[in-house]
This record gives sequence, C-alpha cells and structure tokens, in this order.
Amino acid sequence: MGKLAGKKLLLLGERDGVPGPAMEACLKDSGAEIIFSATECFV
Amino acid sequence: MKVGIKSYSYCLNHAPETGSHYGGTPYEAFHSGKEQEFLDALPKHLQSYDSARHYAPNQTYIGGISYEEFEALPSGWVNNPLPDEKANRYGKFGEIMPEDEFLGLISACDEFELVWLEKSFAEAVSAKLAQDPVITEAIVKRVVRPKNMHELAEIDTEVKDRDGLYLYHDGKPVGCVRSGHPTDQCLTAHVLLENLAGKASGVLALLHLLKNSGLDPKDLDFVIECSEEGAGDVGQRAGGNFAKAIAEVAGCVNASGCDVRGFCAGPVNAMINAAAQVASGARKNIAVVAGGSIPKLFMNARDHVKKGLIALEDCVGSFGVLLVPDDGTMPVMRLDVLGKHTVGAGGAPQAVTSALTFEPLQAAGLTFADVDRYAPELQNHEITEPAGAGNVPLANIKMIAALAVMKKAIEKSEMMNFIKKHGTIGYAPTQGHIPAGVPFIGPACELINEGKIKRSMIIGKGSLFLARLTNLADGASFLIEAPEKVEAPATVSKDDIKAMILEVLGEVAGKLA
Repeated sequence: MGKLAGKKLLLLGERDGVPGPAMEACLKDSGAEIIFSATECFV
Repeated sequence: MKVGIKSYSYCLNHAPETGSHYGGTPYEAFHSGKEQEFLDALPKHLQSYDSARHYAPNQTYIGGISYEEFEALPSGWVNNPLPDEKANRYGKFGEIMPEDEFLGLISACDEFELVWLEKSFAEAVSAKLAQDPVITEAIVKRVVRPKNMHELAEIDTEVKDRDGLYLYHDGKPVGCVRSGHPTDQCLTAHVLLENLAGKASGVLALLHLLKNSGLDPKDLDFVIECSEEGAGDVGQRAGGNFAKAIAEVAGCVNASGCDVRGFCAGPVNAMINAAAQVASGARKNIAVVAGGSIPKLFMNARDHVKKGLIALEDCVGSFGVLLVPDDGTMPVMRLDVLGKHTVGAGGAPQAVTSALTFEPLQAAGLTFADVDRYAPELQNHEITEPAGAGNVPLANIKMIAALAVMKKAIEKSEMMNFIKKHGTIGYAPTQGHIPAGVPFIGPACELINEGKIKRSMIIGKGSLFLARLTNLADGASFLIEAPEKVEAPATVSKDDIKAMILEVLGEVAGKLA
C-alpha cells in the first residue's frame, strides 16, 4: 500500500503512450479505487 | 513465401472548406451550438492550396521530394516552405489535387444523383480535371452529366427542404450532397459525403497506381480497399464494398474486390491478406487501395486555433500498392515474418511492441538491427504535438529501441543512435489508417532499389476500443526486403549437345585406343 491507498482514480490512457488497461494493471495493488479507465486515440 | 511490390501511389486531396464544415470536430462543434468562437476563428487558420503544395510533409507523401531529402530538412516545416521547383502538383507517387477538382471527382463518382454541382462550376472543374494526366475522358464527362448539374436555386431547396449539405468553394455554395433516404441514418447526406469522398480519393490513388505500374486497367485482377469508412444502409451499416466501386470508376472491368477493415491496422492487414492471395496463386495481382477520411479533417483544430497555429489537417489522404508474384526484380513483402498482436498479448506498450517487432524477427532468425528502417505510424508531429498527442513515430521507435535494449540486442548507450538510424520521421496527414506504416512502403522500395537499405518493417496499430466492442488494441506488421536475384535457368542448345557427345565419344575412343 502506497500513497494512493484509499484514493479514487480516473485513468485516461493514450494508444501510443500508456493505455488505460496498462495503468489499471500497474495500480491494481495500490489500494486505490479505479472509478474510470479509458483509452483514447488522438490520431 | 514472398510477393513482389510492383508499384505504389500516394495522393492528397486538399479539402479545407469541406473539412471546416464537415470534419468531425467542426461538425460536432457546429451541432453542439457551444463553440461559435472556434467555428468563427477556424477559417482564419486555413492554408491555401499553394501553401499546402509547398508544405514539405505533403510533398514527401506524394513523392515530390524523396524521404531522404525530407529527413535532411530542418524541423518547423510550416515556417520553411519548399522552393517553387519542389512544390509541384504532381510527384513521383501521386498528386495534391485542389479542392474544386476534388468536388468534381466526387460528383463523377456518384451513381445515384446524390451530388449536384452548380452548372458553371461543374463545367469549369470538368475542364480542369481534363488536364490531369490520370483522369480518364469518361470521368471528365461524368462531371458534366445533366442529372448532376443544377441551378443554385434548386441546390438551395435541396439543402433547406430535404436535408442536403452544401458543398463550398471560395466561401460560396457550389453544389450539394443530397440525403439518400428520408429516415435511414446510414444514408444521410453527411454519411454519403464521407463515403463518396472516400470513394473518390480511392479512385485517384488507384488511377495513379495504374499509371505508375504501367498496368492496363483491364489486367487488374482484384482490389482490396482498407479505409475506415462504412458504407451500407440501415440493414447493414458497413456492408461495403468500396473496392469494387473504386475499380469500376477506374475502368478495371475484369477486377473484383472487397474491403478489409481494422481501424488504423486495416491497411497492414489488407496488405497481408492481398499478399497471401497473390502468393498462393489465387489472384494474379491485387491493388490494395484506401481512400481518405473527411471526418478526420481538422480533428485537432481546436488546439491549433487556440494556439494561433495553421490548421494543417486539410488534406484527404489516399494510397495504393500493387502486389504481384515475386520474380526477383522488385522489392518483396515477406509472408513468413508477420507481426500479430494476439488477443492474449495485452495492451501494455511493451507487449504490443514485442508482438509486432521482436517476436516475428526472432522467429525469422533476425534481430532488431537487421531492420534498416522501422515505419511504425507516420503521423506528422507538427500536427499532433500542439494538440498534446506527442510525436507518435518517435514514441514508437523509442519503445522499439527500449525493447531492443531489454532483449540485449543493443546496448543502452546505443539507444539514441538506434532511434536516429532505424527510425522514420512522420509526414503523413492524420487520416487514421493512412499514417499506419503504409506511407513508407513507397520510400522503402525506392531506398531498396537504390541499394541504400535492405530491409524495412511496416507497422500499423489500430484502436479497436473506439467502437466500444472490446477494450483491445490491435496491430500487425510485415517486412519489405530487397529481392533475391533469381538465376536464369540454364539452357542447352543443340550445338552444346553435339559438342558434349563429341567430347564423350572422343574420351571413349581415347580409352579404346
């Protein structure tokens, strides 16, 4: 558990950067609640 | 298994007025009713056709300048226009068509009296199109078909009373696209404009492909179209078939065709599909073709306007590639080294990059440095960076370089050198499927033919999550290589046989003596 424990997270991913599911995987054990995660494409 | 890349074409249709009305972002802004400031400002940020022709990325796309010339240019292309002698309408691969002629070509591609042009405008653009070396006489005549020419008053009525959309030139209405059905949302004037523009730009790419290859249109066997548009009606909203519709206008009477879709990964998947059919002998040749996208025009223009920049997303892009059996004389596409992003691979950048580069290379006994040039998405960063989307080609080659370090193919200290030597600078319009690796097929083949590189990897990535069917991304890749010289089969003449027999008889006689 780190400093994100108990926090609510909005994750906005980008296709050619870090996509939403990848951030979700990284933050799975952080103790934070992921309330929204999406990947967008701007190109 | 390999197939030959016989020829390629790349075209742009300058469409600032169509884009500023019907590009996805301006169209949405207009209908929201909340962004009048942006809509009022956008016309002041448009560039002229002349400026678009002098813009280095555009000339690189159509082959007006070589990729190597482009790479050597200083950054900040918009502030460093090319000299006049390098800013021609026509390049080695295709052309940049002005918007008025594009409207004429759209009208010529209409089979259902859906596009009306004002009579004098139609006649003027028909005469201009007649000067284009790839536009056929039949197409020129189609622009001035009586059923497609109407008075402005009739056009006004069609727009005001029957849900048509104006077509503009020099700030004035010069025609309209009519609604195709009173209730079907798949046949609205807006959808039909998108589809007809996709068809028309695809026709232009196919016509240049035929010219560049020297192939008689009657000898084309099959067309695979791979844009991102969906043509259909309420019963099948993306039933197709752009390919056959494009082949028809281009006079390819013996060709058939079908569409392949996969968002931005569509073109690479279409290339693989086409190559497999040619390699197997199922088709004697295939043209992979894609028209461009009206909705993508000015996609990032909110940011360009906000920052006082020129809104550069003003060109509809298209391309074509002709695949034929490998005869050892032309660059080849390998079918035994294909990158595939599997369902189980996951969406992490490292996993995607590995699936598209490391895994196929490893299976073929190759390593990262064996690929001279990677072409992983070729968006023009002068468009994407001000909009916050970064430098997409650079981000991708950095990821490839990082993976090469992780796999111990290169040292960490070599990363920057690897990026510079093996990467590509993006120059393609942000037309979704168009920048997805395929713009570099032409330059890669040119560099191979000049003996400057041996191998290039074309990579396309698709954002499947946009359709809300799956959260997955997608991607595919393939290699282009120099041809292996095919040795001519040895032939033996009658005289050779006589000489051989005499030689043997002589040897036998010698032994008997």
